[in-house]
Amino acid sequence: MAIRVNPEFINELDRFGAEDVQLCYQCGDCSTVCPHADEIYRFPRKSMKLLQMGLEQKIETTLEPWLCYYCGQCSEQCPREADPGETMMSLRRWLISRYDFTGISRAFYKSRTIEVLTIIFVALLTGALLLYYGFTNGNIGIYDGEGAFLPSHFIHRFDLSVGSILLVFLLINAFRMWRLVMIKGTDFTVPWWLYIKELYQLPWHFFTQKRYSECEKKRGHKIYMPWLIHLGLMLGYVTMLVLVMVFVELLQKGPEIRWEVHAFGYMATIGLLAGTLYFIRGRFKKHYVQYKKSHGTDWVFVILLFMIVITGVSQHIFHRTGLIEMANITYVIHLMSAVPWLLRMPFTKWAHLVYRPLAMYFASIRREAIEREAAVKELYPLVIK
Amino acid sequence: MENNRIGVYICMCGTNIAKIVDVEAVVKFASEIPEVVLAKSYKYMCSNPGQEMIIQDIKENKLNRIVVAACSPNMHERTFRSALRMAGLNQYLLEMANIREQCSWVHSDPVEATEKAKALVNAAIARVKLHEELENVSAQMCPNVLVIGGGIAGMTAALELADAGNTVYLVEKADHLGGNLARVDLTAPYLYSARDLLTERITRINNNKNIKVFLNSKVTSLTGYIGNFRAVIQNISPVVQNKTIETEVEIGNVIVCTGYKEFDASRIVHYGYGKLPNVITSFEFEKMLRAGRIETKEGKTPKYVAIIHCVGSRSEEFHSYCSRVCCMTALKYAHEIKSAIPECYVSDVYIDMHAFGKGHEDFYRSSSQAKTLFLMYEKGDRPVIHKAGPKDDCEMLIEVNEKLSGETIEIPADLVILMVGMEAREDAYEVARIVNISQDKEGWFIESHPKLEPVATTTDGVFIAGTCVAPKDIPDTVAQARAAAARILARISKEKIEIDALYSEVNPNLCSGCRLCNLLCPYSAIEFLEDKKQSHIISALCKGCGVCVAACPSSAIKGRHFTDQQILAQVEGLLAEKL
Repeated sequence: MAIRVNPEFINELDRFGAEDVQLCYQCGDCSTVCPHADEIYRFPRKSMKLLQMGLEQKIETTLEPWLCYYCGQCSEQCPREADPGETMMSLRRWLISRYDFTGISRAFYKSRTIEVLTIIFVALLTGALLLYYGFTNGNIGIYDGEGAFLPSHFIHRFDLSVGSILLVFLLINAFRMWRLVMIKGTDFTVPWWLYIKELYQLPWHFFTQKRYSECEKKRGHKIYMPWLIHLGLMLGYVTMLVLVMVFVELLQKGPEIRWEVHAFGYMATIGLLAGTLYFIRGRFKKHYVQYKKSHGTDWVFVILLFMIVITGVSQHIFHRTGLIEMANITYVIHLMSAVPWLLRMPFTKWAHLVYRPLAMYFASIRREAIEREAAVKELYPLVIK
Repeated sequence: MENNRIGVYICMCGTNIAKIVDVEAVVKFASEIPEVVLAKSYKYMCSNPGQEMIIQDIKENKLNRIVVAACSPNMHERTFRSALRMAGLNQYLLEMANIREQCSWVHSDPVEATEKAKALVNAAIARVKLHEELENVSAQMCPNVLVIGGGIAGMTAALELADAGNTVYLVEKADHLGGNLARVDLTAPYLYSARDLLTERITRINNNKNIKVFLNSKVTSLTGYIGNFRAVIQNISPVVQNKTIETEVEIGNVIVCTGYKEFDASRIVHYGYGKLPNVITSFEFEKMLRAGRIETKEGKTPKYVAIIHCVGSRSEEFHSYCSRVCCMTALKYAHEIKSAIPECYVSDVYIDMHAFGKGHEDFYRSSSQAKTLFLMYEKGDRPVIHKAGPKDDCEMLIEVNEKLSGETIEIPADLVILMVGMEAREDAYEVARIVNISQDKEGWFIESHPKLEPVATTTDGVFIAGTCVAPKDIPDTVAQARAAAARILARISKEKIEIDALYSEVNPNLCSGCRLCNLLCPYSAIEFLEDKKQSHIISALCKGCGVCVAACPSSAIKGRHFTDQQILAQVEGLLAEKL
């Protein structure tokens, strides 16, 4: 069945950052330099062609955009300056909005105003709620325990409620991704046991990001800097998330430092700080291809993250140095940036934390299923006929 | 008759000959043959010292026959002929033995190669003994020129020739000048208006007293030979059909610029041309552009336009060649459509995008920039055009097996433009027969050498230029027209034309007037003299191919420099037992 082309699609993707894809004339140089493209997953060339033709129904079932880590070698190689790397990035943005059922993601990607206003609104709401709680139940001069402005057991419950909202959205979106990719996108049979066989892919890719390091390896760099920093940032982030969601009551106790949790907190802070600074610097200097074009959402991402880290660190220092009022105020500001950040997660770039390992998992299942089917066809050509 | 005094020169050609052929043995062999006065070898006989040596020897030893055993005569016969002339000897008293291409380059056994070289030299010596002194003849060069075809090529050539002060007869079949270019709106890639290109030319032609324009006319006969042709131009306009108006003109040279015709799109059933009203050819679209209105047959502004390339070109069933101009023309359409209707979507369905040449790649890039959707189909797997359903927002749907993505897709279209290729005109055969030139299997006129003689033909004095030779764009056409004009101007400035002495002659004492040779001659060089009832060869037209010599039942025709005696002597020399 022929799929109808959608000439509007290329204009739509323009808003997601694919500004130069129309220049592509399909020479395939990008796929040749790409460390990850192969016989089954042919990108960026084929993804670019699908985008040009606007075959939405096809693109939404593809995994290729998630298999790209944007090392940028394709964009450096491209003889037509069609920027395949940025195109893959834009397709990831579009896929995030496609997996999201609320339409929030789409609105964020298409309009910076909506995104910023939403963040400010959520931040103000959070601030108002916290201040109201603090002033009615506690004293701004007390940091924790009896009569505290923002007692840790309250913060813990607060964190968990924000976390569960986030989790609900994320799970629904991940389910939608699975349905598009593994049900709609497979015209071959996928045996159920492959899901178990390939399950190890999830933690493996989540914690190592090995494929990202392969990009740097092909580049011939001695130290795989962007990969290291990215890994550090991600591990720092996940550690911090676990600390905040599970150990926040231990973390908030003071003023003495509890090394069994704070050691992790400090390490995570180093990772986060180094990562955000590195990426902000990169986006300013534009010395790497992948930082040449920053989508508005990318800026919001790094700036907000940086604010969270800075207010988190200051709040910690104020608390330990006895400036309790200051500590409480920075704590409110910290949460005012952290809550919109967390609620924004399922709808924006941040969601790749979940989609990427999932995609890697689905991709290896699909690959194995395709290869099995090809092998069967080779053995019994008549049966297939 | 004076005694033969033969000089034999064996070239080593560096090591090209010497590494296989024992040159000294050949020298020794040659020097022992009777009438050979001297035999010498030299490293490069064609070099200046080599030629000097021959000239010196001729003068000192009173040599009157020269054999050079070296490379192919195609390569250096001219060189050694000029050496003979400089030594005061008739240039035709030379014979070359090809011991390089026909010996050292193709054999690996030195002993046998040396024997073969000896045989070739022996044959050349036997032949050269019978050589006669021949003189080139010269003929008058009439400065008038006939240009057939009034398109951009014909007009350019005519102006070039007329501006130099020569009379030009410009014959055009249609009732106006301009040819196919007059049917075009803008030109790719710089978007100059075709009308501007043409009107300047037409005005200049109409104001030029040296150019006589014959509209509604065709050339019905061309007789004579280079410098001295006679052509009949017939008026074919329908108004005066009952009586024939003919003009006879005298000319020295002819340029054929009859152009092309477009492929008939209805031959490809898939595209529904002639059945679907909004499937049109590129020339029909040009008409729309010139009228300034892009619209469907129903008068609606199209939202989707699809352009299909290679209609009739690059296919097994129709024409295997590329028509060269359609890709750029298609990009031009994309440009013009987007500037006229910015919200219109243009898809461009091609086999390959041929954006060769200056400015074309940039033009292609800017079309991509404007978001033209480029799609590729496999040669032989043509897109299919259907009528769209009532629910669709378009007139037609085109199904394409898109090669680059491997997907079967459907493109919406309100208007489909078929980029019809170029093909040889139906009357090309008639023209070729009248001016005596050849056509290839596709009907294009054949140039005398595709690389080095792109505008000359095998008939001296008849030139070809533009799209009657092969599909080409405007700059190439104009360049060819000017090249042909320049070739003719160079000849006119010499006033006389030198004709090679290698032509055939009829011995009037033997010719019985059977006229067998008249029909066989591939160059139409043999005329029949009604008064004498005998055949006569026009030396200016004869190429010395020898067909008539072989055919003549009375052995009345002699090929000069290729007489029976000369050839037999050569064969005997080759086969001589004692070597």
